[in-house]
Amino acid sequence: MTDFTAGSVAVRTRPRDLSALIPYFFILPAVAIMLAGLVYPVIQAFYLSFYDWKIGTEFSGAPYVGFGHFIRMLGDENVWESIWVTIRFGFWTISIEMFLGVSLALLLEKPIRGASVFRTIFILPLMVSPVVVGLIWRYLFDARIGWINYYLVQVGLEPQVWLGDADLAFFAIVFTDIWQWTPFIFIIVIAGLQALPSEVLEASKIDGANWWQHILFVKLPMIRSILMIALLMRLIDVFRALEVMYILTGGGPGRSTELLSLHIYNRAFDTQQLGYASAISVLLIVIVTTLSLGILRMGNPMKDKSDI
Amino acid sequence: MAAKQIDNPLHIWGHYTALIVLALITLAPIWVMIATGFKDDVLVQQKEPVWFFFVPTVENYEYIMTRGKFDRYLWNSVIVGVSATFLTLLFGGLCAYALARTEFKGRVFVANSTLLVRMVPPAVLAVPAFAMVINFSLDADLAVLIFFYTALNLPFAIWLLFGFYKQIPVELEEAAIVDGATALQVFFRVLLPLMKSGYAVAGIFTFRIAWNEFILALLLTGRTSRTLPVGAAGFITDTGVEWGRIMAMGTLIVIPPLLFTFFAARQIIAGMTAGAVKG
Amino acid sequence: MTLKLVKRLALGAGAALLASAAFANPYAKYEGTTIVVSWPALAHFNAAETLVEEFTEETGIEVEIDALQYLKLRDRQILEMSKNEGDYDVVSWVVMWKGEYVSKGLLTPLSQFFTSGSLVDPQYDIDDIAGAYLENGGVVGGKKGYMPGASGALYGVPFGAETSILAYRKDVFEEHGIEVPATYDDLTAAMTKLHAAGIPALTSRGKTGHQVTAAWLFHLAPMGGKIFDDAWNPVVNSPEAVKAAEFMRHVAKTGPLGIETFGFGEASAAFLQGDAAMHLDTLKIAAMSRNPKLSKIDGNVGYALHPTGSRCGSETGGFALGIPQNAPNKEAAFLFIQYMTSKAGDQRMVELGGDPIRISTLKNNTPGNPEYPVVAEQLPCADPDWRPLIPEWNEINIDVLGQALTQVITTDDPIQPIMDEANEKLRAIMEREGYYTWASYRKSN
Repeated sequence: MTDFTAGSVAVRTRPRDLSALIPYFFILPAVAIMLAGLVYPVIQAFYLSFYDWKIGTEFSGAPYVGFGHFIRMLGDENVWESIWVTIRFGFWTISIEMFLGVSLALLLEKPIRGASVFRTIFILPLMVSPVVVGLIWRYLFDARIGWINYYLVQVGLEPQVWLGDADLAFFAIVFTDIWQWTPFIFIIVIAGLQALPSEVLEASKIDGANWWQHILFVKLPMIRSILMIALLMRLIDVFRALEVMYILTGGGPGRSTELLSLHIYNRAFDTQQLGYASAISVLLIVIVTTLSLGILRMGNPMKDKSDI
Repeated sequence: MAAKQIDNPLHIWGHYTALIVLALITLAPIWVMIATGFKDDVLVQQKEPVWFFFVPTVENYEYIMTRGKFDRYLWNSVIVGVSATFLTLLFGGLCAYALARTEFKGRVFVANSTLLVRMVPPAVLAVPAFAMVINFSLDADLAVLIFFYTALNLPFAIWLLFGFYKQIPVELEEAAIVDGATALQVFFRVLLPLMKSGYAVAGIFTFRIAWNEFILALLLTGRTSRTLPVGAAGFITDTGVEWGRIMAMGTLIVIPPLLFTFFAARQIIAGMTAGAVKG
Repeated sequence: MTLKLVKRLALGAGAALLASAAFANPYAKYEGTTIVVSWPALAHFNAAETLVEEFTEETGIEVEIDALQYLKLRDRQILEMSKNEGDYDVVSWVVMWKGEYVSKGLLTPLSQFFTSGSLVDPQYDIDDIAGAYLENGGVVGGKKGYMPGASGALYGVPFGAETSILAYRKDVFEEHGIEVPATYDDLTAAMTKLHAAGIPALTSRGKTGHQVTAAWLFHLAPMGGKIFDDAWNPVVNSPEAVKAAEFMRHVAKTGPLGIETFGFGEASAAFLQGDAAMHLDTLKIAAMSRNPKLSKIDGNVGYALHPTGSRCGSETGGFALGIPQNAPNKEAAFLFIQYMTSKAGDQRMVELGGDPIRISTLKNNTPGNPEYPVVAEQLPCADPDWRPLIPEWNEINIDVLGQALTQVITTDDPIQPIMDEANEKLRAIMEREGYYTWASYRKSN
């Protein structure tokens, strides 16, 4: 499963007593920080989920509720609704982004002049702060002064309350995500295509395959692992996303754009139920861990690293 | 003949047209932000969009520079970004080196766990981080933020740098050891110079996340430790969203990532393709 | 050597002079102190910044203002007030949070300052502050624990306090021959008429959560509805409450585009930018309409009492200033609050475009402020039980009512079942929090 076989020469040649410890000194700071900053909070989330702790009160005074929060969560339609929103959001964004990104990459992979200029442009949306992305699109989607409504009216359509209607607001967050993340798929697929060994491609050309067959039966299968990893990474991102929606819609109207992460945030800091929000966090951790283990099983990305 | 058959069906001009259209779609919203930052309130509230031809004003910039405590937010963002990046590269680099080059008990476990904790959603961190701040009465907010950003970035940095270390031939180190160098000397004198581009990629990604992050910053910073994204969201006020000011602030926030993009696009793409990255 | 001695003597004499000056100046002791004030980014408070600068000039007490969106204030304030030593010396809260702040022990009772001879200004005259404002913003105790009454204690002084009045476009009403509505029936008819004429009628908040509930509350009280009866039984599915919800749907259908996304800022902007004919919300709209930066309609706005339904009832809301229990500079903070809400300060706020809290100020400034007589007449109707200021209110407000009312204004689903469901959810919350234990205890005995 893993490929950790490379050179261990360097340290083994040093005297045994000291050398055995050196690697631990090297990993110690990083491991300590990750334990304290990532693992401890996760454990803390488990712990907090057994207490009914409200913001502004002493934690020591918070009543212990056992599995009460988890039982409440199982019957809480709001939690399931936000999971359903997350799944729908993931389905639409990922499938459209994959389709657009991969087709554009296949169409445009040919090395051309100025490719680097375009590539630079395409990574811009990824570098822009999510808060700023949310703000820009909130302005464009605004019902009263938004530019999108203005052009709708120009072409003879009714202006819409984009962020105030359940379906339209959902469309808005999907659209924004596609704007931001399609270039990402595009770029990694292009990189994958251009790294394909030319002999194999030549061979299939000689076999007389046409363009479509060439794409479907030669190229796509060869970049399958890249596609798979990109897809799973995006899937996990969907469960991590909240900043753009926090600014764009705040989860509303109703809960129509309240992704699971945002639901946790709103529960914790809007309605101030820290304990209950922690219980929902535990659910989120379980989902994300399952997906992550999926990635690890599919092929440890650290293995791929060795041939960047 | 055969070669012609499988040529991409798109003509070279179609190719360029498609790319230009895509580039415009990508750039338009960013341009809207930049342009809006230079408009006065009347133009901003006007329903008819003005793309290019208007009299630009710097009143929004003047306002945020003088009234909005911009200097403090900027300084905080710089401190947080630079410190988190430095710590991540230092500790992440050491750890990646150990994982790539040495053999020790638990190495595979550490490597795999690193990949797992990389996926921890920020929303999960929110409540426990908030609890830590309250229960430990932490007042040095910036340090708390730097700590969490370092933790959030370490897994990816380790993963990325691991790959770069793997590319360096072991023979170089062996030669240095034969010459009598210690492990530390090998690391600092032989490996680091070769790792420049790897550290550049990891640095850019770490800085980007530390610079852009919003949710944890919103929770963990107070009046004196607010960072730029939190400051920008502060212009969503109760008298309406101050679009001109908020877009001016947005433009300023985007400048460093934009500079990185223009000067280090190659490294960024290397980082992304290194395995479907996101922070 | 001798020179140094002379210098020292001179310094000593100077210090003595300063010390004697301190007795004459109540602020001298705190000169150079910096106090930190947390308040909302609302027009009234933006206007107050000038008065704050004057305060610093006069007293030598430096003030740093931390202005945030008002719904974000509470998180920040609670976090700071939960620490051993907080960052804030003065906090400004929305009246609905006062019960929570006090029950969690986060505020300093003001009596300890009002009884201090060196701090309190004999000319302050607290009785001049409108009773409804003082009781709703600052008094905690009484019946239900958050209402005025004999058992109340003072925790804050109103600043930026408000009630609701109707603001309308005189020009639009005249053009379409619409009478100023006095009752909800008139109002409903006027909205229908305006809508038919292609004019967005009444702007309103409507964003999911706090905002849509706040909008509904404006209509609930005049229509005779309540959230809870006297035994804490939820009654949001009563005929009155359902009627208020029906009215909300009518507002959304006849009002400006986008009500479903409006917070207070967007809702008022729609009116001020000329995209709605009426605004039935806080009196703050009057001062805002006179501000050329915010408004295109100055001079065309008329004011009237909040229309009545089965009774007269207007909002009690807005803000009050108080001092956290962990404030580092409590006395300087008190001096600041006293300065901002004094007669002179109140008068100055009017000149700066803010809203007064004192009856004398309302009376003295009628010319140029056409809404003041309306406000003075409206105040007796202000309902002290506007919303239940209990700690559970956040969850009820945002999670239950905020969701149900979003369904009301964004769909055409029948309203009664929506409110029935909300009522059940409210009951479950109150059950969970133990509000019915006394009732069941009595029953079993």
